[in-house]
Amino acid sequence: MDIAVFRARLNTWLDEHHEDVAPPFEPPGTLDEQVAQMQRMKSVLYDAGWMRYGWPERVGGMGGSPMLRTELGAALAARDLTDPGLFSLIEVLAPTLIDFAPVELAAEFVPRLLSGAEIWCQGFSEPGSGSDLASLSCRAEPDGDPATASTWIINGQKVWTSLANYAQRCVLLTRTGAPDSRHRGITAFFVDMDTPGITVAPLEMINGLSEFAEVFFDDVAVPADRMLGEVNRGWEVAMSILPYERSSCFWQLIAHLYHRLEMLVAVAPDDDRSAEVIGDAYVALHALRARSRVTQHRLASGATLGPETSIDKVLVATTEQKVYDAARRLLPGVVELDDSASGHLWRSEYLYSRAATIYGGTYEIQRNIIARRLLDLGAD
Amino acid sequence: MDASERALLEQTVRDAISSTSGGFDKVDEVLADLGWLEMLRDEPHDAVAIVFGALGSTNGAGSMLDDVLLAALGMTPEPGCAVLLPPFGSSAPPASVDGDRVFGTGLATARATTASEMVAVAVTGDAVTIARVPMSAVNTEPARGVDPRLGLHVAHVDVQDADATGDTRSWEPALAAGRIALAHELAAASRAMLELARTHALERVQFDRPIAHFQAVRHRLAETLVAIEACDASLVAAADEPGPMTAALAKALAGRAARTAATHCQQVLAGIGFTTDHPFHRFLKRTMALDGLLGSTDALTFDLGRELLATRRVPTLIEL
Repeated sequence: MDIAVFRARLNTWLDEHHEDVAPPFEPPGTLDEQVAQMQRMKSVLYDAGWMRYGWPERVGGMGGSPMLRTELGAALAARDLTDPGLFSLIEVLAPTLIDFAPVELAAEFVPRLLSGAEIWCQGFSEPGSGSDLASLSCRAEPDGDPATASTWIINGQKVWTSLANYAQRCVLLTRTGAPDSRHRGITAFFVDMDTPGITVAPLEMINGLSEFAEVFFDDVAVPADRMLGEVNRGWEVAMSILPYERSSCFWQLIAHLYHRLEMLVAVAPDDDRSAEVIGDAYVALHALRARSRVTQHRLASGATLGPETSIDKVLVATTEQKVYDAARRLLPGVVELDDSASGHLWRSEYLYSRAATIYGGTYEIQRNIIARRLLDLGAD
Repeated sequence: MDASERALLEQTVRDAISSTSGGFDKVDEVLADLGWLEMLRDEPHDAVAIVFGALGSTNGAGSMLDDVLLAALGMTPEPGCAVLLPPFGSSAPPASVDGDRVFGTGLATARATTASEMVAVAVTGDAVTIARVPMSAVNTEPARGVDPRLGLHVAHVDVQDADATGDTRSWEPALAAGRIALAHELAAASRAMLELARTHALERVQFDRPIAHFQAVRHRLAETLVAIEACDASLVAAADEPGPMTAALAKALAGRAARTAATHCQQVLAGIGFTTDHPFHRFLKRTMALDGLLGSTDALTFDLGRELLATRRVPTLIEL
């Protein structure tokens, strides 16, 4: 389907079915409410077909360009129907199954993620492995010969695992090579979160929500047919996420930020200071949207996305903070003291936006990549 | 035009400009020989991107901005016709009309010294008045300022019986076209500054290693590239969705990129970048002058903010 036609039809449908997909509470709500809303909305959208566009038919999709699902996420974010950060987790989870899981496994489970029947999480970061992901140490040992073992035993810890305390499955990176084997000794698994030996300890974030958790693995037995890709080839699985994270997820977040700036513009004082602050945020947002659009057109035309997406990441992170900084500057006392739902929303998202230059590769790491890979300044 | 044709043409234009000493009359001449006006007529988008990009990267100066504005005003560009530009920092039509009298003060490119007539645009209600004024009725003086090589002039127009036509053509398309051209030039000048600083960082050794090794230096150059790439993306957006807002945003982002590049690259170049022995200063000065033409970054950003507040809307402008 042509993307402009899809967008028009989708928006018409969302207008007509607003009651069916809108949150039954005033945003932001609690995390429990947000998650329940997201799953209910996905279920309605799946039944109506919208959640299936842009996904391959072999996992229950209806095919078409992945940009269709990007449009869906952006439309939902622009209407404040769901949190784009939580919703776009699909983009970093489903493709790993589609590209690396045995065909039957992907066909069985991906529809559950798309339809809101399940939540999955991503077990990548560890206490000792943040920016340096390739140093991860959560261990997976074969129960017998690695080539023929029917079971792998996992021991270790993950952290910053979004929605782990809601999730039924986890896409997990483990160390299967020597401790110092770095990216050559990592293997990915698709793990059931109710497997004995898994303990989830939620972490309360700076905005009071417990979106993240620590996840502990204590002799957790995982069947070998749950391996994603091959033994010691898990780095490919991890890296395969990048094009989705840096295209679709960003576009959804961008739609959300435009919506937030519009909310700010609706209530900001009509004076010169507002014009300066809002103009500054708008120029930054436009640059980000223009850059992300170029990136997605490159991806759609068959280009392989690489280090140049670090520029997109820097723009996303700095612009998100700029939008919320603008809100804090133009609505004095709202972020800090307002206990209404709207004050709570601005406060929660303002505080969350401080992480924008930290998660998904810090601002520092992105600039290191730009310097080394794009400017060819040599090793750091 | 495909990518390889374009690259070849870019190189040809750069070489032609570099073959002159960068002086405006010679640059005008070599570009005329290359068919600039025909390109502008037949493939305006590519012509502007290539020529203004080449001016920016070579620090060349010409009067092609007059041609871009004339074409966007629906007039036929010609070397003998200059345009009265708004004063530094401003974007409003620079002239006023009072009966048959047309008067105003603004800037002009170096063409002011060779042209036989000047086009002055004035606001009259919802439309604009376009007046063709003989250069004999225009008093010009050089505005050497920070960048004498650019050849800017201050121009005072005051004529009693102007050949003025009330015109429904708005000033907006001319402004948008001029801003896009200047944005290309600023972006290319910013890239030139980045390349100078990058080369210096790789060659300059302190503490027994190239300063490119130090993260503080690397991050400054990385931030410069981010700003330039952001501007380039906005130029793609402006080409795909032409309009006053996408053009204003591109010019604002170009001015931003130039400031970021100037600040970071000058710091990385350190002592040598503070001298006229090194070419950096020419790019710095050029971007200082260009930022003020047809609306500075600050003015554009403020005006965009004003517009958003007036409409209480935040238009997304571009779609996938």
